[in-house]
Amino acid sequence: MNQFLAIYKLVLKHQVTRGRVILVVLATVLFAVLGRIARGESDPTETVVGVLALLGQGLIIPVICLLLGSGSMGDWHNDETLVYVWLRPVRRIIVAAAATAAAITVAIPATVLPMVAAVAMSGEVGNGVLRGTITSTLAITVAYTAVFTLLGLLVRKPLPFGLIYVFVWELFISRTAEGAQRLSINSYGASMLSRATDISLDFAGRGQTATIIVPVAVALAAIALSSARLNRMEVA
Amino acid sequence: MVAQGVSKAFGSLVAVSEVSFALGPGVTALLGPNGAGKSTLLRMLCGLSVPTTGSIAVAGADPRTSSAARAQIGLVPQQDGVFERDSVRSFVELAATLGGVTDIKSATDQALERVELDGPLDRPLGSFSKGMRQRAKIASALVHDPSVLFLDEPLNGLDPRQRRSMIALFHDLGEQGKTVVVSSHVLDEVERFGSNVLVIARGRLAAQGDFRAIRSLMNDQPLRFRLTCTETLKVAAALVGGGLATGIEIIGDSIELTTVDAPLFRARVAMVCKHYDARLYELSPLDEDLESVFRYLVS
Repeated sequence: MNQFLAIYKLVLKHQVTRGRVILVVLATVLFAVLGRIARGESDPTETVVGVLALLGQGLIIPVICLLLGSGSMGDWHNDETLVYVWLRPVRRIIVAAAATAAAITVAIPATVLPMVAAVAMSGEVGNGVLRGTITSTLAITVAYTAVFTLLGLLVRKPLPFGLIYVFVWELFISRTAEGAQRLSINSYGASMLSRATDISLDFAGRGQTATIIVPVAVALAAIALSSARLNRMEVA
Repeated sequence: MVAQGVSKAFGSLVAVSEVSFALGPGVTALLGPNGAGKSTLLRMLCGLSVPTTGSIAVAGADPRTSSAARAQIGLVPQQDGVFERDSVRSFVELAATLGGVTDIKSATDQALERVELDGPLDRPLGSFSKGMRQRAKIASALVHDPSVLFLDEPLNGLDPRQRRSMIALFHDLGEQGKTVVVSSHVLDEVERFGSNVLVIARGRLAAQGDFRAIRSLMNDQPLRFRLTCTETLKVAAALVGGGLATGIEIIGDSIELTTVDAPLFRARVAMVCKHYDARLYELSPLDEDLESVFRYLVS
């Protein structure tokens, strides 16, 4: 437990940087503005939920998770400090779980704040909008962050790879076919949000149980793969 | 620590080829020119890199797969990277925690004391000089009391006093029964670590052992001496005429000479001097130092 906490605290300490805080503040301001604009629309609930599903869950949340997740162990990999953790007699699964948990801890407020700001400024906090926004954001934040934590270990430059994944897979290919949607994390968030708000979204065909189980399963699988990657990787 | 037939290839480039050796307690210097494969070998010895063929055992197990073996290893990596936002103290405490130390505070204090780090230890590592960060890295490698230490260019960034102090520390660790492997490209520094060397050239193990003993075994390399005496011209002529020296250079009162039969030269030089009533002040070898041995081995 001491080893888990030590790594968790180490990642937390290095995750919160000025640049990342500025990014979250900017995202929060942007979504607050979008929420305010939605307020003036004829159906503000549908407008704000549409903005959250497409721009929020489709773009901003994955990008924030990419920055935070890929940096958690990826920064160690890139600046060659991984050796200080890797060479210690600590089980790899503890390292992977602690680093992922720390990245998720930072990612949750970073993704929830902009989404809640949009809802608050739209004035549509009722009808399950606020609840659905928070729960769906939490679910996909956990999954995306764990996946991008793994990506940070797999490649030296995770940001371009992650952005390609977000734009090409999550925003484009996965929306073209039902089968592909099942392999999109975004689809589970949209389904959760759609169910909570009772607003129909194109990309929201997942069942209620799946919207809870799949993001968690994706996160656990990503942690297991990160652990396996740590076992096999060459460390500088 | 045992390396058995260890090779490492990166595609078609063979960085380390069929290297086998065993190291026990004491300080051993890992030497080799740039690109010889020392860093690759050091990384494999720690388990950071997988050998293409062969095996490595530290404390009886493969450090790549065995936590118990890794618990016995302390490493000071060559790269400058440290957790910049960590303080010196928390950096060393982290190593102690991950190393399974029970009394973390006491072990941290001791490690910091051993490397003579004091002062504002709660400031971020990124704000310290390279020398301070280097000593923090050494403290972090020592804090869990490992039995095998790998030190890759450990004196980088240290001032002369700190260098002396760290060399003394490494000697102490060797005398305490720890296996200390030091990689350095500064040969006169390495000479101060001790005489036991492991020389890597073009990815192969060129020599292992006491470098003076290695030099004495290099019969194909003529030895050079400096002889300081009176009657230098007569003595020099006699040495060449008697076949004791193959090359001679007279510099003031000294003769610098090359011989292919050092034992015979040593046995007869005093007699030659006596024959010419020459007073012999000094006879010293010129190429039994580490640098000469190293040059011969890697040339």
